[in-house]
Amino acid sequence: MKTFSKLFLFTGFILAWACSPEEDPIELAPEIHYYIPKISHTLQVAGFPQPERNITSEEGVALGKKLFFDPNLSSNGKVSCATCHSPELAFTDGINLADHGVSGKKLHRSAPAIFNLAWQSDGLFWDGGAHDLESLNFGPLTHSDEMDANLDEVVTYLENDNEYKQQFGLIFSEGRIESAQVTRAISQYLRTLISQDSKYDRWKGKEEGFTELELNGYQLYQKNCSSCHREGLFTDRSFHNNGLDSEYPNPPELEGLYQGRYRITSNPEDMGAYKTPTLRNIYLTAPYMHDGRFETLDEVLDHYQNGIQVNESLASQLTSGISLSQNEREALIAFLGSLTDSIFIKQHHHLTN
Amino acid sequence: MKNLIYTALFSSLLIFSSCKDEEIPATMAMDLTIEHVLDGQTLELNGKSFTLPSGEDFTPKKFKYYISNVVLTNSQTGEMFEEMDSYHLISEDGNKSIDLGMIPSSNYDQLTFSIGVDEVANGKTDQTGDLDPNSDMAWNWNTGYKFLVLEGEFTNATSGDRQGLVMHIGTNGNFKTVTQSLSGVRAGKSTSLMLISNLDELFKDPNVLLVSELESTTIMFGEMAGKVAENYSEGFITVK
Repeated sequence: MKTFSKLFLFTGFILAWACSPEEDPIELAPEIHYYIPKISHTLQVAGFPQPERNITSEEGVALGKKLFFDPNLSSNGKVSCATCHSPELAFTDGINLADHGVSGKKLHRSAPAIFNLAWQSDGLFWDGGAHDLESLNFGPLTHSDEMDANLDEVVTYLENDNEYKQQFGLIFSEGRIESAQVTRAISQYLRTLISQDSKYDRWKGKEEGFTELELNGYQLYQKNCSSCHREGLFTDRSFHNNGLDSEYPNPPELEGLYQGRYRITSNPEDMGAYKTPTLRNIYLTAPYMHDGRFETLDEVLDHYQNGIQVNESLASQLTSGISLSQNEREALIAFLGSLTDSIFIKQHHHLTN
Repeated sequence: MKNLIYTALFSSLLIFSSCKDEEIPATMAMDLTIEHVLDGQTLELNGKSFTLPSGEDFTPKKFKYYISNVVLTNSQTGEMFEEMDSYHLISEDGNKSIDLGMIPSSNYDQLTFSIGVDEVANGKTDQTGDLDPNSDMAWNWNTGYKFLVLEGEFTNATSGDRQGLVMHIGTNGNFKTVTQSLSGVRAGKSTSLMLISNLDELFKDPNVLLVSELESTTIMFGEMAGKVAENYSEGFITVK
């Protein structure tokens, strides 16, 4: 009887465990090479966050990379993820509002730089609407003005390609390819896009010196910028209204698109708020802001100096703007140059050839 | 000879056990079928015009929704059957039934289910089965599922123009759980439950919707979506 009740308890435990809302971890397959990418201390992050349902492996990353650069996922066979997220521009496209999606219509947002995303835990997209990479990828993949993919057709295409079929089978061990596997593979690749080898990182690691100008710029950055563009990732991963607009029109067909994070949270404090973009690789990621309205860093600094639109949701740090002398501006811009990671760019560039 | 005796013994055993056929089998088959009704008539898409509770006309074009977390309860004994991984996309032009398969036998007298997708499953979209985003029920800019989609056309009472009506109701606050009592379910007897989705209920009780007077005929988020969800939380899906 005692054994029986123990067994009962144990069964109850198993049941409770199986019913818990936590994700069931995937079973790690022996023929797959799981790994944790090397993380520089200069990113100031703890570990490498990844969902238990999608553990990074060499094979998964290779498949995700192939999918990322494959225009056949789009409905006209011409647009890949890399069309808007080109490695040589730190995974941006250099355009304010691109029209190179399938429909040829102009988008409403500028393509954000996509690296160091494993640590972007508080929402992806400019307004944070996507909970994780796995969910995000369906956005650009299916949006009619981006890749316009029909997910069933994507799966059919992949099923009919022997190499893809074999790769998916190995990594996910399911009989059939499903849309969830497609986005998981792409997410694995994206999590390995880690920019951490800039001059700044070498300076922090005492491997290289800063010029006096860069050093001055760093101090100006610390004083004026670091509360939002927090050192390490150079973003606080949060959302702020940085005074771009005083009002936010809301045509119903755009579903609150001009309202920033408010469209996601319905919190008045988030009106006009967008994600703090990283300053890493900022020389490569012009034009700037969620809609690419500023072509140059000078225009950005002009905005912070003279252009702040004050309203109720304005970030408190910006109420009196950021005033810099011409010399200070030069120093700050020199420091920002030290955040360009040419090793990262080269590493991912040659893979596209 | 020995074999024959064994056979006879075995047969008598069988007969003996079959004499006790009043004994209830451990499991029973259970399925649910749903009928869609508007203005007392069977729903049809893309053609037929129906009358809404407000008296306005409406031609439905798309109607689908999630039924999830199906539970059967015997309130007398406390026995319960919870369907695992219970997410069902029901649509007028697609699937309108839920097969629970063989479930433990009991005199179930309560059916509980939810309209929508629970918070955990609604927090990601890389999912399979009826939650695969290929069904056009996942939002692509705001992670989560549309719980209920109704689209169609009506004639604006003021302008006389034909106008589109779009209801895409989702978000965790609009996830609603419904409990219905059952009668006549007997332990061991295979059962087909009939449910009715009455679309009139989306437009009334407690919140009356006059579609001609809506500020926006696209109802997706905010207050109006919440009102529709209140309407579907009671009386929308009932056991026939």
